Amino acid sequence: MKRALLWLLLVGSGGAWAQEDAFVEDAGTQEPSLLDQLDLAAGAPVTKAAPTPSPNLFVRAFQSLNPDLSVIIDGVAGYAERAPLRLSGDDPDLGGDATTPAAGFTLQELEFGFQGAVDPYFRADVFLTIPNLSGLEVEEAYVTSTSLPADLQVKVGIFRSALGRQNGQHLHTQSFTRRPLLNAAYLADDGLRSPGAQVSWLAPVPFFLQLNLEAFSVGPPEGLSQPTTFGGGKRTDLTYAAELKAFAPISDAFSVYGGLNFATGLSPGLDGHPELEGARSFLSGADLYVKYRPANQREGFFTLTWTTEYFLRTLGPYLDAGLYSQLVLQFARSWSVGVREDVLGLPASEIQPLTSKTSVMLTFTATEFARVRAHVEREFAHSPDVQDSMAAYLLLEISLGAHGAHAF
Amino acid sequence: MNRLLCLLTMLGAAGALADEPLAVVTTIETFADLARRVGGEKVRVESLSRGYQDPHFVDARPNLMVTLNRADLLIRVGLDLEIGWLPLLTQGARNEKIQPGQSGDLDASTLVEVLDVPQVKVSRAMGDVHPGGNPHYWLPPVNAVRIARGIAERLKQLRPGDAAYFDAQFQKFLAEVKQRAPAWEARAKPLAGLKVVTYHRSWIYVTRWLKIEEVGYVENKPGVAPSPVHLAELITLMQGQGVKKILVEEFFNHSIAETVANKAGAKVLSMPSDVGARPEIKSWFDLVEAVLTQLAR
Repeated sequence: MKRALLWLLLVGSGGAWAQEDAFVEDAGTQEPSLLDQLDLAAGAPVTKAAPTPSPNLFVRAFQSLNPDLSVIIDGVAGYAERAPLRLSGDDPDLGGDATTPAAGFTLQELEFGFQGAVDPYFRADVFLTIPNLSGLEVEEAYVTSTSLPADLQVKVGIFRSALGRQNGQHLHTQSFTRRPLLNAAYLADDGLRSPGAQVSWLAPVPFFLQLNLEAFSVGPPEGLSQPTTFGGGKRTDLTYAAELKAFAPISDAFSVYGGLNFATGLSPGLDGHPELEGARSFLSGADLYVKYRPANQREGFFTLTWTTEYFLRTLGPYLDAGLYSQLVLQFARSWSVGVREDVLGLPASEIQPLTSKTSVMLTFTATEFARVRAHVEREFAHSPDVQDSMAAYLLLEISLGAHGAHAF
Repeated sequence: MNRLLCLLTMLGAAGALADEPLAVVTTIETFADLARRVGGEKVRVESLSRGYQDPHFVDARPNLMVTLNRADLLIRVGLDLEIGWLPLLTQGARNEKIQPGQSGDLDASTLVEVLDVPQVKVSRAMGDVHPGGNPHYWLPPVNAVRIARGIAERLKQLRPGDAAYFDAQFQKFLAEVKQRAPAWEARAKPLAGLKVVTYHRSWIYVTRWLKIEEVGYVENKPGVAPSPVHLAELITLMQGQGVKKILVEEFFNHSIAETVANKAGAKVLSMPSDVGARPEIKSWFDLVEAVLTQLAR
């Protein structure tokens, strides 16, 4: 009882203090000496369980069991000499066709996020998007287990596969405002993102080593004019993927993060190639992310990252591959610059001719919640029939509401 | 395969052994020092961030998930200080013991009297305001004692068999703080009434302890680069009030503060804010000494 009274007294006096200005003007004769204060602190009751309800009425009034809500807006103005050869779902779509230029404004993507704990055993994440004002899509909606034994984690729902590095990322977490060419060419227009399940295991070794096994029901693509790796057969003809990810903290500043990736499924076919319908496709590849960021980065703001990813595809009798490689440099508090080279058809095949693209970006980060991003690219078709094309985009990206942690 | 199984069994068994030290993981190095003092030989402590790093912006490097995966106790600052990186790590760690609300999760902000709790609804238009209050609370002796006491209580809860040991360790720490307190008080006396400007609003716990007056801030909104208009006003304010010192955490870029100091006829004090901010600051005691020394410059 005495303790409770003392506690109340302490809390009460704390509240009174907090309402004063930032400092105490008069040294005051009433204030106990540091020694007495230390004795008080040493004897103060300690609550047993965290989190404790805040004694502050204002904070308590805003307690809420709603999920964290966020809205991300990517508005863009752009110009392209002709429509890109392959467009990912969340790339800016200015319209236009293979021979005429296009320009104008578009809302590249509007994303709504709902995230939170379901109960002590699950958390849930839902992301709805409207790309290029073309209708509401479920980008992801999945449940993740939080308390399985043996360092296992299970994810169920519709989600982005962890295959490679860029596929798992949302538009606003990428360094560039357009996906690499291999996303649409080897995974799908929206990447490998379908209803399915994932089991992931953190290996009991002294470093980070994670194995993911995934199965998806990939739906058929909208058209068969471009080669598509997965999505053939029936809903029960699953697409399987496996990823092994390892991380090496070389020093406090220097990190190397790499993955080996493998996936197999059935091809939905390709116009003019009836033999490909239902043919088994294999995708194997590797990704590497190297980052140099001094631990006291806020002092000089310097960060340099190099990302590269490679996919080799076997589709019926055809074998081809694609890659991208990008360097991003943060050189000031608010500025970063990057360059990326995309190559498809390395080796090339009849269904995947050599195509390449060079992109340069400049990003101004006003705050954690607002960025202006410029992107200029030149696409090379390496063919006399298709003209090379220049395109430029200026994007404003706004993040409203809850702001999730940044994945490495 | 046999080897792997053997390794797995060993790891499992290690967790169950009672005399194995408790694995304590902290988000900042000051908490690691306090946990080592209170836990003594019964704990093995690791900090996720370095003292020379801005604790708001730590990379969520995957190896930190491995560290958290093997933790029995996570001690964190709370009040959203680590919101930009810690949630991903605790989710990826697959360790039920340290999830929010479990006995292996200690939010140290529940142990101290939190200042700057917003009294109006916060908005991002105010900058990066922490809705739960100001999280930079670990430096003043009263708070360090409260945190150490809270760590001791939690360790007793996790290892009831070692309760007497943790109590004794805490008393040892308290005695050392009390032994050094008179000297600190003597050093604090001439600082009372000193007028300062700070870069980020992260020194209020220290300035309240030392009765230093904070006249203004280089950042007019927390976490947002200051505008030239604000800086001009700040310089005028500093000249008017005779402010001679600007406190800046060592990990922040000093160029803006230097410019303001030059124009206002003041000097920049580069302040360590965590254990490990400099190689010679190896403990919370060193940190307090270093801060008092720096403020007296």
